[in-house]
Amino acid sequence: MKQLTDITTPFSDIAVDNTIPGQELDWLKTLREQARAQFQRHGLPSKKVEDWKYTSLWALSQETFTHEAQASQLNETRCSEVALLESAYRLVIVDGQFNAELSRIDDLEAGLTLLPLSQALSMSEAVLNQQIDIEKPGLNALNTMLMNEGAYIQVKAGSNITKPIELLVINTGETEKLATHLRHVIDLAKDADLTIVEHYASLNDESVGLTDVISEVNLADNARLNHFKLQHESLSHYHIATLAGKQASTSTWHTNNISLGAKLARNDIHSQLLGEQAHVTMDGMYLVTGKQHVDNHTRIDHAVPNTTSEEIYKGVLDGDSHAVFNGKVIVHKDAQKTDANQSNRNLLLSRTCEIDTKPEMEIYADDVKCGHGSTVGQLDEQQIFFLRSRGLDETSARSLLTYAFAVEVLQRIADLPIRQALSNVIETRLPRGV
Amino acid sequence: MLTIKNLHASVDGKEILRGIDMTVNPGEVHAIMGPNGAGKSTLSNVLAGRDGYEITQGEVIYKGENLLELEPEERAQRGVFLAFQYPVEIPGVSNVYLLKSALNAVRKYQGLEEVDAMDFLTLVREKMKLVKMNEEFLHRNVNEGFSGGEKKRNEILQMAILEPALAILDETDSGLDIDALRIVSEGVNALRAEDRSIVMITHYQRLLDHIVPDFVHVLSEGRIVKSGDKELAKELEKSGYSWIHDAPEGETA
Repeated sequence: MKQLTDITTPFSDIAVDNTIPGQELDWLKTLREQARAQFQRHGLPSKKVEDWKYTSLWALSQETFTHEAQASQLNETRCSEVALLESAYRLVIVDGQFNAELSRIDDLEAGLTLLPLSQALSMSEAVLNQQIDIEKPGLNALNTMLMNEGAYIQVKAGSNITKPIELLVINTGETEKLATHLRHVIDLAKDADLTIVEHYASLNDESVGLTDVISEVNLADNARLNHFKLQHESLSHYHIATLAGKQASTSTWHTNNISLGAKLARNDIHSQLLGEQAHVTMDGMYLVTGKQHVDNHTRIDHAVPNTTSEEIYKGVLDGDSHAVFNGKVIVHKDAQKTDANQSNRNLLLSRTCEIDTKPEMEIYADDVKCGHGSTVGQLDEQQIFFLRSRGLDETSARSLLTYAFAVEVLQRIADLPIRQALSNVIETRLPRGV
Repeated sequence: MLTIKNLHASVDGKEILRGIDMTVNPGEVHAIMGPNGAGKSTLSNVLAGRDGYEITQGEVIYKGENLLELEPEERAQRGVFLAFQYPVEIPGVSNVYLLKSALNAVRKYQGLEEVDAMDFLTLVREKMKLVKMNEEFLHRNVNEGFSGGEKKRNEILQMAILEPALAILDETDSGLDIDALRIVSEGVNALRAEDRSIVMITHYQRLLDHIVPDFVHVLSEGRIVKSGDKELAKELEKSGYSWIHDAPEGETA
C-alpha cells in the first residue's frame, strides 16, 4: 500500500511564481524556497505521525484544489449579514483575496496598524514566521510556501485599542474546490491592548474548499490580547489552522477557539510563556454532528517561573461525528510556581459519535500547582425532568441543557457584545427547540 | 381538582404504592405525612410524571383528564406543579431564563402570547418579594451555589410565577432552618387561593404549624391509613408513627 507521503499531493504541482506577493523580498523568497523543499520532502502527514494519529488527511489528499478564485459578487449588505460584529474594524478576505471595498480599515485609532498582509510584507521581516516551525508535520511548510494574504496587525507601545478587529474570511463557494493559504500576524508592543475576532464563514453550505491558515501572535511586556476565533464553514470544507504565540512578562492572552463547521477541522494552538507573570487563557468549544471531524491540539509551555495558564475545552458531539482533543501543558525545569489548569469536557448526544481526549501534563519543576482532567458524559436525566416539570417540552429541555453545557466557555469572555454575538451563532447550531 | 383512585405503583418490580385513594377539591390544602419509606416521594413523583415508576393499578383524574397519560410538561402546562425535595442545579442556565421559558411554555398552552421582557421583569420582581429574594438571584444559574433555603425559596418563586392549579410540595421543609422555613411558608400561604389546591408531603409536623392544612393523611407502607384534620398532625407529633401499624386498614375520613 502506498504511504500518504508518497502520494502526489493536491498542491505539489503548484509553482511559487512571481504572482505570489513578496517575491521581490530576498528573505521571503528564501523562506518560501525552504518551505517548498520541506513540503516536497515530507508532504502531508500520515496517521503514523503521533500528532496526526486520529486525523486522516487522506480525503484531503484526494481532492484537486485550485488557487484561482473567480471574482466574487459579494456585496456590502450580504457581507454585513455574515459579519459577527457591527461596531468593529473589519478586514475582509473573500475567497482568499483581500477585499478593500468591504473592509473598514481606513479610520483607525492612533497606535494601530491594520493592513492586508500582501501590502505589509516589506515591513514584516522581523515578525513573520517567527513562531512557526516549518518542519513540524502538518501544513506549516505548505502555508509558508503559498501564503498570499492575511492580516498584518501591529499595536504600538501603550496603545489601548478600544474597538475590536474582525478578520472576516468568507468562502463564497463561487469557485469550486478553492484552496486559500492565509497568514495573520498579530504583534503587540509593550502595554498594548487589543481585541480581535478571526471569523471564518461560508456562504454556501455545501461548497468544498480548503482554508489553510496560520496566525502568529507576539505579545511584548504587559501586552493584553483578547483573541477569539469562530469557524463555521461549510460542512464539506477543510479547515486547517495553526495559532502560535509567545508572551513576554506580565502579558495576558485570552483566546477562545469555537469550531462549529467544516467536514474536517484541525487546530494547532500554542502559547509560550517566556516572561514571568505571563498568563494565557486558552479556551475552546466544538459542536459537531453528522460526519464532522474536529481535532484540537493545544500546547502551553511554561518556560520561566511564576506563569499561569487556564484551559477549558468543551465539546458537544452528535450524529457520527468524531472529535479529538490533545492538550499538552509543559512545565519546564525552571518554571517554579507555575499555576496551570486544564480540562476537557465532552457531552455525547448520540451513540455513534466518538471522542478521543488526551490531556497531558509534563512537569519538570517541583514547586507547581497543576491540575488537569477530562470527562465524557451525557445529558443529566434529573435536569431534563426538572425542566419538563416546568413546562418545557423534551426537545427544548435537551437543547437548553446542551446550550448550557457549551456556553460555560463563553462566560469567561469579558467583552459582552462579543460574548452575545458568539452565543447567538452557537444557538443556531443546536438541536431546534429553545 | 384531583382524584386518586386505588393507585398502585412499583419501582423495579417492588410495589411501593399499594392502593391510594384521595380527593382534593379546589382551594384545599392537604398534608400527607408518614415515616421514611412510606411512599411519600413515590406519590409526588408519580403525580409529576417522573420516569421509572410503573403504574400497576388505579387512576389519577386531574380536572377530568387522566393525569397518568400526560407527559410531565403537559401536566405542568395544565397547572400541575411539583416543588422538588432536592432541587437540581443547572449550570449555564440563568434563573431568569428558566422562569421566562417556563412561563411562556405554560402561556403557549393556554393560547396566550409570550410575555415581553419588560412585563416579565415587573412580574418577577413582584413575585420575588413573596419569598424575599433579591434581584441578584435572577442572574445566577439555576440553584448553582444556592444554600438549601435559597433552593427551596427558588422553588416557591417558580410556583408563584407559574400560578399552578395544583401544587405538590415534596418535603419543602427539609433542610430549612427556622427563618428559611418561615419565609417559604409565608410564600406558600400567600399563594393559597380558592382555585388552587396544595398537597404538602412532609415527614415532620413543624411545617404544618406554618402552613395550616385542611386535611391530614397518614401514609404508611403505600396506603393512607388514617385521615383527619390538622389535629391529627399534632397527635402524630406526640406519639410518632409507631402506632400506625396497629391501626385498622383503610380507615379514612
